[in-house]
Amino acid sequence: MHMFSKTTFAATLGVALAATGFAKAETPTTLRDGRIGYAVADAHFSVYQTADGKAECPQGLNPMGPREIFKQLWPNGGKMEDTILVREGLNAFPADHPPLFPYLETQGKISYGLNLDGKVGPKDFTSPEGEKGIDNAFYRVTGCATGFRGPDGQVQLFASKFLRGFVYNRMMIEISGADNLVNDPSVDVTIMRGRDPLLLDSTGEKVAPGGSQRVDERYGKMLIQRLHGKIENGVLITEPVKDATWAWQIESNHPRSLHIRDMRLQLKLTGAGADGLMAGYFDVNTLLDWTMGYATHHLAYDRLDAPEFYWALRKNADAYPDPKTGEMTALSSAITLNMAQVFIQHPDKAVAEQVTPEAGRVTKTER
Amino acid sequence: MKNALALAVFSAALIAGGASQVFAAETGRTRAVEAYVPVAMPPGFQVIVTDLDGPVFADAKGKTLYSWPVRAMRNGYAGDPKGKSVCGDEVLQKSAGLMSPYPPGLDLPEPGTRRSCVATWPPVYAADDAKPVDKWTIIKRADGKRQWAYDDFPLYTSIVDRVPGDVLGGSTMGGRGDSPAARDPVGPPSAVPPGFRVDTTVQGRKLSTDGRYAIYVSDADGANKSNCNDACARTWVPIRAPASAQPQGEWSIVDRAPGVRQWAFRKKPLYTYSGDPSPGKTEGEDVPGWHLVYTQMVPPVPKDFMVQVTMNGDVLANAKGKTVYYYSCGEDTDDMMPCDTMESPQAYRFAVCGNADVEKCLKTWPYVTVSPGVKSESHLWTAVWVDPKTGHRAEANQAGALNVWAYRGKPVYTYAGDKEPGDFLGHNTGEWHGRWNGYQAFWIHDLGGRN
Repeated sequence: MHMFSKTTFAATLGVALAATGFAKAETPTTLRDGRIGYAVADAHFSVYQTADGKAECPQGLNPMGPREIFKQLWPNGGKMEDTILVREGLNAFPADHPPLFPYLETQGKISYGLNLDGKVGPKDFTSPEGEKGIDNAFYRVTGCATGFRGPDGQVQLFASKFLRGFVYNRMMIEISGADNLVNDPSVDVTIMRGRDPLLLDSTGEKVAPGGSQRVDERYGKMLIQRLHGKIENGVLITEPVKDATWAWQIESNHPRSLHIRDMRLQLKLTGAGADGLMAGYFDVNTLLDWTMGYATHHLAYDRLDAPEFYWALRKNADAYPDPKTGEMTALSSAITLNMAQVFIQHPDKAVAEQVTPEAGRVTKTER
Repeated sequence: MKNALALAVFSAALIAGGASQVFAAETGRTRAVEAYVPVAMPPGFQVIVTDLDGPVFADAKGKTLYSWPVRAMRNGYAGDPKGKSVCGDEVLQKSAGLMSPYPPGLDLPEPGTRRSCVATWPPVYAADDAKPVDKWTIIKRADGKRQWAYDDFPLYTSIVDRVPGDVLGGSTMGGRGDSPAARDPVGPPSAVPPGFRVDTTVQGRKLSTDGRYAIYVSDADGANKSNCNDACARTWVPIRAPASAQPQGEWSIVDRAPGVRQWAFRKKPLYTYSGDPSPGKTEGEDVPGWHLVYTQMVPPVPKDFMVQVTMNGDVLANAKGKTVYYYSCGEDTDDMMPCDTMESPQAYRFAVCGNADVEKCLKTWPYVTVSPGVKSESHLWTAVWVDPKTGHRAEANQAGALNVWAYRGKPVYTYAGDKEPGDFLGHNTGEWHGRWNGYQAFWIHDLGGRN
């Protein structure tokens, strides 16, 4: 389980590339001393969707959001303590009450993602290009949830919007030790966070390659992580890192981090950008945490009710059993990344050299 | 220009420093305070320079004056329009649904003990013979009474302010988007030249350019003398003073070269940092020897607290490094009553802290208790007694009561879900990212701002 996938990185990237949110014009950018950097220009959970949604959601999209649930439970209103505050209490403590309403899960057989465990199981998906064994349990939860579907679901929309508006989530990778961007059997990849605004093109809407980024060594030190991988036919394929942390902020002043186990990257590389997937097993609590920070106002737009969502997460968790209860605590998933090439301004000491290799990440330290 | 009535002995020394300096150092009782532009005031009013918000207007008894400017909510408006008070004496019993997807008209908690808006925010009445003075005007309330207004917004005091210098009813620091329509303390303009501004932060009153770029001073400079030239001056950009600028009060002008003039504050030349990528950023404070500039800094926090670095910046932490949180609550009513004081209905907080289970609440969000012998030196931090079962204020040493720290009159907490120093998993717990009924981390410096 959780072995490095030997399967070919299929054209799963195809749609990801099509959705690229930055200017794709090739630039003469080349490796410098075997290094090239990329910064995230767009990121959202990978959700495969057909035009009318019927293939993956034959029963339609999930209808029960906060507003609808309230109306069913308390059609005549009532006391604040017996209505709104009951729901707000469950938002914070969703395990206190079992689910009240059916949650519509994805019924489709096709999904983006990677084969995380190297197996083909009964619950696995097939990629749009036909690769079997795709692990993406989170897609079962999100595929029929309006907010996760593009182009105008709140989670999708905000992910893009706030990536460009804030620096907390200015995640970057740097490939080092590379001979070229086409084939190299051994490269190092360092994850880090930048400190600067993204370079936008003349429209002001798309991220352009060629920007500069300083490394956040102060507050971002704990985000510096190193992976090892290879480049095959222009695709970066990293080995999984046991515990990864990824800064995630897709709403104003709502900084969070995703804890991803067995995290790996598969990205199509060019001199201008890197596009593809970051996949692994995402903690139930991590996924709940950032979603629940949304205002009920926004969740209502998406018809996503926090407690009901929580139970859907638990039901679909497919990895990392709790040692005491045996209940799975994490869901396989993937995030579609679109990254723009950046020139990473290194401090005096190369960032990669500061990583403790045994853990793949640095430990927290005080200033 | 005038130095206000200070609440502590002060000197005119420059105040500069970063988060760790502010919160770790004991600055004694010598503290510079912000100068302000004196404005004409009717008899009976005064200016008090407060710990957090700097100079504010107060009545004759020293109670801070507030206004309640109208603000757009998601489903309507709340607050006073210019020239009119909507803060009435009716005790509201129903929710308004201004910020909620849920319907309005729900019955509010504790109907028998609720207060009206005017009982919570007493209007500042004008005597029958009172006359307007400059920006101080008089409006007529719905009941015919005359009420003072400043800049056309009606003025109030707050029942939670107890002693002169308290600004517990609101702050110029708060009120970000999608927060309750808060009351703002009102005061005279800061005494800064055109091109500068002063903003309230948890560390102090921070000086910035009017474009919100951070301003710095250097340890290497002398009194009214800049030693930053050539490459240094390209990184640290001197803030030019126009040819017509004149020294005033604590502001002087340094002649860098013939015709090249630089502003100085409290005799220290001022700079912006070329490495700050956008307004509001303060990356220059990471550079040794360079400091942000404050017109005044907040008094030090009690010794039960420390500063902890996190992935999102510096946060206030307890003595063990656990992130400290404050609770915010505004009722979704037309009068936007606060529900986060120790006197407020506690049903809101108990819902998000323990799903209405008090024991679970205390376990999940424990109070930060006061260590023996530790005291506060300011109005901002107080040791209060609380009955943990009710959340209300208790008598000192009352059976079962806890002696806990309160910031601006409201208890602070840690979160059981945070397992190690630097965690901030409790941040934004609750409605609207914790702003309406929930918890937010006590950020001293955070990365949450826009680029």
